[in-house]
Amino acid sequence: MTIARVEALSFAYPDGSPALRDVSFELRDGEVVALLGPSGSGKSTLLRALAGLVPHFHGGRFSGRVQVDGNDTRAVRPAVLAGTVASVFQDPEDQVVMTVVGNEVAFGLENLGAQPATIWPRVEKALGAVGASHLRGRRTVELSGGELQRVCLAAALALEPRLLLLDEPTSQLDPAGADAFLGSVAAAGCAVVLSEQRVERALDAADRVLYLEEGRLLFDGPVAAAREWLAAHRPRYAGRESFAAPETPPGEALVEIEAARFAYGDGPIVLDAASLCVHRGEIVTLEGPNGSGKSTLAKLAAGLLVPGAGTVRRSGRATYLSQDPGRYLVRETAIQEVALAVGGDGRRAQAALERFGLGFAASRHPRDLSSGERERLGLAAVAVSDPDLLVLDEPTRGVDPDRRADLAAWMLAEAASGRAILVATHDSGLPADRRVRVGTAREEPVAV
Amino acid sequence: MSPGAAAALLAAAAAAAFLTDRIAVVALIVVALFLVCLRAPAARRWPYLVGALVSGAGVIVLSPLLWSSGAGTLIWEGPTIPVLGPIDLSTDEITAAVLSGLRLTAVALAFSAYALLLDHDRLVAAGGFARRSALAVALATRLVPTLERDAAGLAESVRGRGIELSGPRGYATLLSPLVAGSLERASSLAEAMEARGYGRAGSTRAPRPPWTWLDRAALAVAAAIVVVAVLVP
Repeated sequence: MTIARVEALSFAYPDGSPALRDVSFELRDGEVVALLGPSGSGKSTLLRALAGLVPHFHGGRFSGRVQVDGNDTRAVRPAVLAGTVASVFQDPEDQVVMTVVGNEVAFGLENLGAQPATIWPRVEKALGAVGASHLRGRRTVELSGGELQRVCLAAALALEPRLLLLDEPTSQLDPAGADAFLGSVAAAGCAVVLSEQRVERALDAADRVLYLEEGRLLFDGPVAAAREWLAAHRPRYAGRESFAAPETPPGEALVEIEAARFAYGDGPIVLDAASLCVHRGEIVTLEGPNGSGKSTLAKLAAGLLVPGAGTVRRSGRATYLSQDPGRYLVRETAIQEVALAVGGDGRRAQAALERFGLGFAASRHPRDLSSGERERLGLAAVAVSDPDLLVLDEPTRGVDPDRRADLAAWMLAEAASGRAILVATHDSGLPADRRVRVGTAREEPVAV
Repeated sequence: MSPGAAAALLAAAAAAAFLTDRIAVVALIVVALFLVCLRAPAARRWPYLVGALVSGAGVIVLSPLLWSSGAGTLIWEGPTIPVLGPIDLSTDEITAAVLSGLRLTAVALAFSAYALLLDHDRLVAAGGFARRSALAVALATRLVPTLERDAAGLAESVRGRGIELSGPRGYATLLSPLVAGSLERASSLAEAMEARGYGRAGSTRAPRPPWTWLDRAALAVAAAIVVVAVLVP
């Protein structure tokens, strides 16, 4: 039975070019659909259209028709569609409302007017379905990113929706966490539209694939056919691309960490007896599950943290690109943002912007750029000062395969020019001279 | 214990600290509330505890110097400062300052325990009216740690480029992006709330657990604390 029908949908945000162009498809009950495509291709917009948030919440120019469970989304508000449709967005921090997990999962049920006597049993069932029953009484601010994302999924599943919309929900999770998350989704039994940049994982979970590019639906078909189409037309989406290691021999050591121990305040020990050495011209990746201490070790190497015990020896300049750099831009224009690290030198800043394909954006406000452009701006802002050591924290998180390949090529070029690169990542396909496994399987709280 | 009963106990402790004039009793209340606050996770409790203790200590140290009681034994007589007048220290002023400082600490610790330990989105909503206002309070409480984290992320982003932030002016430059980021988060949150049915007609409430004997006992103890503090000041 059809749960949603999209007919000739075109949409443009109020101040933007068309985000969706003449998109048509149907969704049937119980099918799991992987929604693939580059950043900015319209995936999130399509999910928002299915939830009714486009056009109600965002405004813009809308043509065509979206029907969900027989309701025209232009005629009913998203709050009315809630229950039939449930959404989980990329960043759990942007969707959690209540302070205690149980209340958070109950929030949607209360809004829908569920019978009071049924609310807590449904909360228990939903938390159980995502393996988070033990979190019910915990405060949401004390949860790790992975735990919080599971709570968001529970809040969606508690509504017992017929259509579940997931917008890159696993981008903050390690591979094991992402598998567990998608396992819970598969067990839900409702129709699912899953937007993902980890293509292989999405294909494994899906029955059917939609591929969007520049707002157009280029492919709609079952997974087997999708694999063939992707291999023929978008090979980077057909399988996880691994990159060869750099060929330049490493030079002198730029950072040497010996037996470092670190804890945030009086919290638990995050790193104990950690050692690491990075040489000029080398790419080293730090790999491990959420909370294993990858970011902490990277920050020690960059000089942003000081170990409680052990030693860190550095030579040369180091810069650090944080996770989600697009959120942490601090100046009014893109060129000012990049020039910050070079004492306001506009010429060097403009050259760096050109190098990252952002020359057109020099006078634009960073927050007016797309998410992909913001990430490139963050990279330009740390690379502009030509540091000896570049430390990158999860640079491929939420990044599409094309941009991931661009990043890998850039890393190789930087290493060949004599720069050292240290990368904290879940992505084992990035080019590396050495891969360092860090820590244990304890999850790191979001608030540290 | 239900949040309502726990809040009543905290309110009674704070009220008793103001009703009694006995320093030992107020000190006892401060110690008890401090121990309650220690049940919160270490990473979250320290700003509250530092704030409460520093405020109380500030009152104890400064107020005897800035106020002359004219009574008690004069311990030290200092210079006369324009606007402030003569600076001196007497036993009476010290006693009053300790009492005021402890009272302030007690109230601050009671609030800290409320903020750190209670399920206040249920507590505020339990009033049964003004759901939107109650939700605004719950959201504001929840988003404070997010704001702290965003501020730390912005500072780290700048330091990661090799630039050291120093002094109030250095950190003030982060205020504008912090506000802009908060507005972005607020917009995303509003979207997520609408997608979860917020604002739809006919909402219901999850039933609260019935009050236990412990809750009733806590309420009785809270009332008794206030009565005793009134009758035996």
